[in-house]
Amino acid sequence: MLLPEFEYFAPGTVEEVLALLERFGDGAKILAGGTDLLLMMKDKVIRPRCLIDITGVAALNGIRYTPGQGLIIGAAAKIAVVERSPVVREKYFALHQAAGELGSAQVRAMATIGGNSCHASPAAETPPPLIALGAKVKLQSRAGERELPLADFILGNRQTALRNGEILTGFFLPEPPPNSASRYQCLGLRDAMEIDIVNAAVNLVLDEDGATCRDVRIVMGSVAPAPLRARQAESTLAGRRLDAAAIEEAARIAAGEAKPISDLRASAEYRREVTAVVVKRALQQAFYALTAGPNKGGLCS
Amino acid sequence: MIDRDLDRNFTAVGKSVPRKDAALKARGEAKYTDDLTLPGMLYGKIKRSPYAHAIIKNIDCSRALALPGVQAVITGQEAPIPYGIVPQNPTEYALAVGKVRYSGEGVAAVAAVDEETAEEALELITVEYEPLPALLDPLEAMARDDVRIHENVPYNIMYEGNQEFGDPDGALARSAYVLEREFKTSYVNHAFLEPHAALAGFSPNGELTLYASTQIPHYLHRTLSLVLQMPMHKIRVSVPTVGGGFGGKGEVSSAELCAALLARKTGRPVKVTYERSEVFAQHKGRHPCLIKMKIGVDKDGLIQAVDFDNILDGGAYAGWGIVVLFYTAAMIHLPYKVPNARFRGRRVFTNKPTTGAMRGLGGVQPRFAMESMLDELAGMVGISPYEIRMRNAVESGYTTKSNVYVPHSEFKKCLQTAVEKSGYLEKHGKLPFGRGIGLAGGYYISGTAYTLYMSYKPHSSAMIRVDTEAGVTLYCGATDIGQGSDTVMAQMAAEALGVKYEDVHVVSGDTTLAPFDLGSFASRVTYGTGQAIKMAAAEINKKLFAIAAAELGVRAEHLTAKNYRIFSRFEPKKAMDWYKAVEKYIDAQGPLVGTGHYTPPRTGGKFQGGKIGQSPTFGFSAQVTEVEVDLKTGRVKVLKVTEAGDCGQAINPMSVEGQVEGSILMGMGQALYEEIKVAPDGKILNPNLHDYKIPTAMELPAIDSTIVESYDPTAPFGAKESGEGPIQPVIPAIANAVADAIGVRFTDLPITPEKVLRALQKKKQQS
Amino acid sequence: MKQLIELQVNGETYAVPVSPRDLLVDVLRKKLGLTGTKKGCGQGDCGACTVLVDGEPVLSCLTLAIACRGKKITTIEGLAENGRLHPLQQSFVDHGAIQCGFCTPGMILSAKALLDRNPAPPEEEIKRGLAGNLCRCTGYKKIVEAVGAAARALTAGNLAGPPPEEPAAGEPAGALPANGEVKS
Repeated sequence: MLLPEFEYFAPGTVEEVLALLERFGDGAKILAGGTDLLLMMKDKVIRPRCLIDITGVAALNGIRYTPGQGLIIGAAAKIAVVERSPVVREKYFALHQAAGELGSAQVRAMATIGGNSCHASPAAETPPPLIALGAKVKLQSRAGERELPLADFILGNRQTALRNGEILTGFFLPEPPPNSASRYQCLGLRDAMEIDIVNAAVNLVLDEDGATCRDVRIVMGSVAPAPLRARQAESTLAGRRLDAAAIEEAARIAAGEAKPISDLRASAEYRREVTAVVVKRALQQAFYALTAGPNKGGLCS
Repeated sequence: MIDRDLDRNFTAVGKSVPRKDAALKARGEAKYTDDLTLPGMLYGKIKRSPYAHAIIKNIDCSRALALPGVQAVITGQEAPIPYGIVPQNPTEYALAVGKVRYSGEGVAAVAAVDEETAEEALELITVEYEPLPALLDPLEAMARDDVRIHENVPYNIMYEGNQEFGDPDGALARSAYVLEREFKTSYVNHAFLEPHAALAGFSPNGELTLYASTQIPHYLHRTLSLVLQMPMHKIRVSVPTVGGGFGGKGEVSSAELCAALLARKTGRPVKVTYERSEVFAQHKGRHPCLIKMKIGVDKDGLIQAVDFDNILDGGAYAGWGIVVLFYTAAMIHLPYKVPNARFRGRRVFTNKPTTGAMRGLGGVQPRFAMESMLDELAGMVGISPYEIRMRNAVESGYTTKSNVYVPHSEFKKCLQTAVEKSGYLEKHGKLPFGRGIGLAGGYYISGTAYTLYMSYKPHSSAMIRVDTEAGVTLYCGATDIGQGSDTVMAQMAAEALGVKYEDVHVVSGDTTLAPFDLGSFASRVTYGTGQAIKMAAAEINKKLFAIAAAELGVRAEHLTAKNYRIFSRFEPKKAMDWYKAVEKYIDAQGPLVGTGHYTPPRTGGKFQGGKIGQSPTFGFSAQVTEVEVDLKTGRVKVLKVTEAGDCGQAINPMSVEGQVEGSILMGMGQALYEEIKVAPDGKILNPNLHDYKIPTAMELPAIDSTIVESYDPTAPFGAKESGEGPIQPVIPAIANAVADAIGVRFTDLPITPEKVLRALQKKKQQS
Repeated sequence: MKQLIELQVNGETYAVPVSPRDLLVDVLRKKLGLTGTKKGCGQGDCGACTVLVDGEPVLSCLTLAIACRGKKITTIEGLAENGRLHPLQQSFVDHGAIQCGFCTPGMILSAKALLDRNPAPPEEEIKRGLAGNLCRCTGYKKIVEAVGAAARALTAGNLAGPPPEEPAAGEPAGALPANGEVKS
């Protein structure tokens, strides 16, 4: 499997990236980890004229946490770096889990968190937790910068709100509120190297009483062209005292909100059914983490 | 001369020595076919059909030929001689001739100065097709005589086989319990890690050398001779390191033929290496089977009769088909005593990549059926699944109704060991809902009695050369495909000669350098080549012992050799240095060479397919598998496999364990994850290793395997097969464990989470 | 359009002409003759092409060679030192973790990346670290055992692996003398 021909640039600054984008227009593609892009090029699905390798752009790398404000993750940060980040593990556990479930050790060492959202695969691992955690994407073009909620950035299967000449520079995740916990769950045939049948992330905030749901976000992957917020399920739980029945009901409602398709990995019916399972397990684990101890659970099954 | 096996005081056999090539492989220095280059070498690539069934109206290569760097383009018309692994039924071509019969079939091939140019040239070849209806389901194919995949094959039934032994209908009528079930097995691929590759070059004298990743250099040699219309003595097949085969590299691939044809056309060496998708197109994997089986047992659970109907999905070409068909027939006669049996089998053409031989061929599918049904029958009789197996298990000296003689069996010991070590009887039926434990048995041949074409030549041969310069060199045609045959052969030669294993050089897998061997398939190598090695070593020993006898003043038949010393069994002090004897022999007599050969007994029955399933001996195994079913998602997780195998005397126990562990994971894949999926137009939807899901390290369960105490007196050093037997019980043991876990019996592979969840829901509705 | 780039592989610097489209796996295999890196699928699914780039395990079939300028690449050929197998390599040999050997180079490099980061991984971590390297022969059991044993050997400070086998004193005869002459 060979790549088609293209020109290669490895700029050192965002400005240079933007200049190249302007010069090549539609013919340019951003190369970050390459695990999705180069595969598509090998399959001749796309034949870009030029690749702009952003992995050497310092401003797009790194993870910076400001206490009380939140976290900035550079678009070119490797999934493995996100997974290993102590602050991600401590404060944004669902993201830590999802990063750890992505591909293999090699794929995690290569792929970037920006690429995972920009590729906009319906089965992508990191967008559901990022959305659940309230992530905003930072976009930059020569016209300036803008911010969008990630939920408004991923529009569909391989479709994003990126404009011509614009790049994703990073993600902003707000400081998690007190009494909150996030968890991620996924389901594939095997325990590794899976393109998920379904996945889901929840971010649960409890009242001071430690039992009532103040706020919850439930985001499901692989059940719609883009990550899907289970808004009805969320509103079922909001303000409600959490117990097994409430979680069960919310999971069932979330499954009803899913819009899955049948493909070679699973049927739509099965996807819908197990959506309820992964949502329920993620909710249970988040609730358990808040009521029984820190960073418990996290098993992907 | 006293047979040295008798004392079984082995020095090289029975030792878990590291493989001869392990360090080289660990350093990345072992050369596989694609690692080789020759001066002036070109790269070959194959243009493949997007249609599953179509007439080739026209192929226009002119634009490809005009591309700078392209040296040659060939089509099927340039080698229109059909071939097949079963020579009586040649149906395949190097490249399609006249029509294509599966999506991904080769229609043209190019040779160019580099891969980039070759790939570009493929896009410049235009092929005009007239699409025909694609028949993807064997039942539909049998109903559509209007669409013939091969013109001379009515109703697309490549072959129908029938066998009957005793009075199956009467025996079923008299049985206390009769069970009838249908099973469906899936379309699975070998998924060896090294894609097929071939490198062909012609010498200035017009002699062809083909380096290829093959299991069977001999049949490749014959096929090259046929398709290229060249005498065999002008062709050399040489096998570099092989990255796994599992049966899939037994049949000749288009890569091999196209490399040779393109090399001849261009006058330059040509290498063709497959992409992973081409491995799936070449395929030759396991036959999906539609099985109807009826088993009758008496009130004590003794099997009275088996009635077995099998429809095998053969894909586009004949390949090993007829052999696999009759192997499925043979496999119902063991490892349990079956006094009456009937078989009806049909191998059917469909417009899909051809199925063929895959590890444990013919056994895995009926084993799944039979072992599943034995569990149910045990329940009907009111005895444990273990008890029904013990009551029916064969023992040494048994002859099946199909006239297969079993010289040696420790099958009962396998069942006992696996059951005791796993605590099966304490757990079966008693674990909490969602947890289950399953038992299954199995067996496999240790070689086949017949060549695929009429011939009386020995199936295996070996030559040992000893001198004071190169030491001990063993030449034999057996091919190490990663199973470790070079190591095992060196161990056997070392044992037979009384030298160190590390010092034995092995020259194998080369039709010019090594003497004749049929190849690495049918678990024939250790047993057959081992016999040939023993015979060759006996000749060396006879020559050396005559020298030593005179020197030491003892009778030659009292001598033995160990650790480079020849000594009297009765007075070990009467000893002589081994190489001293070698030197004296050569000084007086010239080169010291021993040759040996082996041909299995030509046993068989005078009935259709009566030669198939005949083997000089058999390996046996039993497995107990524990699973956990996620009741909410339907996912099955294999927790533990307890295995006990009878492979006779293990030549290299570490290698035997490796075969067992590899078999367990491969069987798990077929049971739970693996399935080639085909679109309605015949295209494979998952010709890759992300959606064709073989187990990863994460799926590794706990494995507790035991090599039971065993010694087959007919076998070289007592050794039998271990490469294909251990996969036989894997799938039914899992299915039986799932049945124990959730009370649902799955008869349709793979057992996916979706199927399990559906079954759980259905069960809930019913109760 | 080819350009000359410098690649640092196994401690050596090579000047190699490459096109942007050239993948690291092909440059290593075809241009540098380092054929220990294997191509099993070309799609990042099998892990046979795994090499280390700045210590991280990377799929060389999905990596542009041109993007590796200035980075330290380690292939399987770079592991043995002074002709002595790396403890991981030795452990794979000793434990029977190698059958056909096609997955072995990538498997050993993934294991090395794992142990470099986590010198004493529990079994589940070893499995997880190797999950991107498919093996069809061994069933993984002996591989996982080999990595565990190598980890223990490495952390015990036994960096050189097991000592070479000494010939037992007074062993009779033994192997052939180097010059082919047999002593009487």
